[in-house]
Amino acid sequence: MDFINKKTTRYATVLLILLALLIFAFLLNIGMGSVKIPISQVFTEIKRMILHQQSDQPIYKAIIGRIRLPRTLAAIIGGASLASAGLLLQIFFRNPLVGPYVLGISSGATLLVALILLAGVTFGLNIATPFLLFLAAFIGSILVMTIVLLISSKVKNVVTLLVIGLMAGYLCGSVTSFLMAFAEKEEVKGFIMWTMGSFSGFTWKQVTILTLVGLPGLFITLLISKPLNALLMGEKYAASMGVKIKRIRFLIVLISSLLAGLVTAFAGPVSFIGLSVPHISRLCFGTSDNKILIPGTILLGGTITGLCDLIARTIFAPVEVPISAVTSFLGAPVVIFLLLRRRNAL
Amino acid sequence: MSIIRTESLAVGYGDKVVVDQVAIDALKGQIVCLLGPNGSGKTTILRTLAGLLSSVKGTVFINNEDLSSINQQKLAKMLAVVLTERPTPGLMTVFDIAAMGRYPHTGFFGKLTQTDIDVTMDALRMVHADYLAHRYFSELSDGEKQKVMIARAIVQEPELIILDEPTIHLDVKHKIEVISILKKMSKEKGITVVLSLHEIDLALKSCDTVLLVKDGKILDYGFPEDVIKENTIKELYDINTARYNDFLGTIELYNQCKDSVFIFGGAGSGTRLYRALTKRGYGIDTGIIHENDVDYFVAQSIGANIISEKPFEKISNETYANALKFIKKAGIIIDAGFAIGKNNEQNLSLLIEAIKTGKVIYSMRLKDEAKRLFDRTHLSQFTDKLIYCDSISDIVEKLSLEKCP
Repeated sequence: MDFINKKTTRYATVLLILLALLIFAFLLNIGMGSVKIPISQVFTEIKRMILHQQSDQPIYKAIIGRIRLPRTLAAIIGGASLASAGLLLQIFFRNPLVGPYVLGISSGATLLVALILLAGVTFGLNIATPFLLFLAAFIGSILVMTIVLLISSKVKNVVTLLVIGLMAGYLCGSVTSFLMAFAEKEEVKGFIMWTMGSFSGFTWKQVTILTLVGLPGLFITLLISKPLNALLMGEKYAASMGVKIKRIRFLIVLISSLLAGLVTAFAGPVSFIGLSVPHISRLCFGTSDNKILIPGTILLGGTITGLCDLIARTIFAPVEVPISAVTSFLGAPVVIFLLLRRRNAL
Repeated sequence: MSIIRTESLAVGYGDKVVVDQVAIDALKGQIVCLLGPNGSGKTTILRTLAGLLSSVKGTVFINNEDLSSINQQKLAKMLAVVLTERPTPGLMTVFDIAAMGRYPHTGFFGKLTQTDIDVTMDALRMVHADYLAHRYFSELSDGEKQKVMIARAIVQEPELIILDEPTIHLDVKHKIEVISILKKMSKEKGITVVLSLHEIDLALKSCDTVLLVKDGKILDYGFPEDVIKENTIKELYDINTARYNDFLGTIELYNQCKDSVFIFGGAGSGTRLYRALTKRGYGIDTGIIHENDVDYFVAQSIGANIISEKPFEKISNETYANALKFIKKAGIIIDAGFAIGKNNEQNLSLLIEAIKTGKVIYSMRLKDEAKRLFDRTHLSQFTDKLIYCDSISDIVEKLSLEKCP
């Protein structure tokens, strides 16, 4: 079949381009900043690091090894995770307006962080360390996820689940607003900056945790691309083709929440990536076939988040803007442009 | 051996029974059709048969295996469905959608082999949608989408396909196309089909068995030719303003108007007039028609007063006299341009009698033809007494002018 071959060629080409873009974004992220490191040096330093060799450029080594490499890896893995979580939920709810936070994941995280930053609840620990914030945000995400998972096995209609997720989000948001109303000005500013997300200050320890949970999550997403495709036809058709609906529902909610919750715990609620990257990738490939779309979304999520993080930290250097400001500002026009070019995309 | 069979089956939601005593038994390659008004429980029955809904009580057997005990993967190879909901799969091509049917046959990642691609293209060819293969599904028309959904079901290579109202929202061409695809599929591939329809005529002409569903009960089950009759349809759909004619397979709106037009009909010349005048509120008397005439069936369904003669008999004097009574009573008389032969030649003398009464008579004949007719009886002076109309619209217009001078 001629058109099948043509499509396969297109998919392979676009995937290769996206991979090249990701590598490009990675190198750019490491090389650019207040101290510029030439690409050749970036290669040498990373090679030395991998081979545990001594470096003749200790400053470069410190900047790359301690700051830029962990941050870049975090942005790339984090972006890929958010984008995949968004894609999973868009398929699950068969709704293009859905993002990874639609089930209230970020609201749960935000509420617990607000408890620490605004209300001074420290769970017995003395100071609000970054680790405490991570813990709080993660617990918040997991709590909401557990509630949603418990409900998901009970409800028949996924839209009910969607509304419940939204309501859970509003509930957490309302409590957060209460806390903000009674908090000091300074605290509120710090809190608001957290809610707009940032990949700054990632340590290797955090990157390791992100990788250990994120990569298996992404891998499982790739593995379930066949039943995800069947879900595009709606749950009834999927069931008639042999998909075990309850199991796949559980898996989708679990994986998407874990991915989104983890990134939120480390970097705060990074907006827009999870909603827009699946669209951009769908339009790049011209297909909703998840066998192609999932790897595409992972690559594109990593690339776009990496580039946005680069802009966030360099554009007004030394001041760093929140990453959500960049993602939305650059992403929204792109999505609108692509959608207008192809009307049937949704 | 039965492909699908039910045993004291009651369907519904939870404990609530929607339809009780659903008895279905279909052999290989048979087409079973569910007929019934909206909300009668057809969809509930079909969902239960497809295993998408558990039965309230009783059992469904697919290939003599209890449906509830067959694992999903295996069931998917025996049974495929076409539902009323149209999927919105985003950017998926027609080929992608049809190939989705390979789901139970492909491996863990769902990679298509050459066989899978061939089966998919064959099915698309069977539903005449192969030329659409590269198009996006979301860009198709309703009719094209439905054909692709049927192809997807065929691609699943099942022994049984269950379709919920496959002809809904389709134009006549696609309705007929869908039904003929299903018939072809059942004949060539031996696939058993269970479906629900709203088109009584299509059901009558295409199905092996029909099941009439109403108010949570099965009214009747059997050969469509035995089951579908004028009265069953009236009972099934509670129709009082229209009548179903089981010889013609059509539904005629019932004429309840008082002031009558007398129409000379025969050999189908009257049918269009009956319908046109019924629509516009004229009561209808018609004659003299033989009881095997298509005009007779339509006039009967419409509820006209018919002066008729037994099939193939010459018109008797008694019938003639009766017709004359109606003509004398009638306000308006129309000659539908009936054909004249040995058995109904009295109609011509009746027409001449009608002219003699001095009433206005409209005719659908050409003037030359009328002249030839009257010449036969040496009464050519009557030729000019008729008002000639060349179309139904012409008659309707002239009638309405007469009504309100």
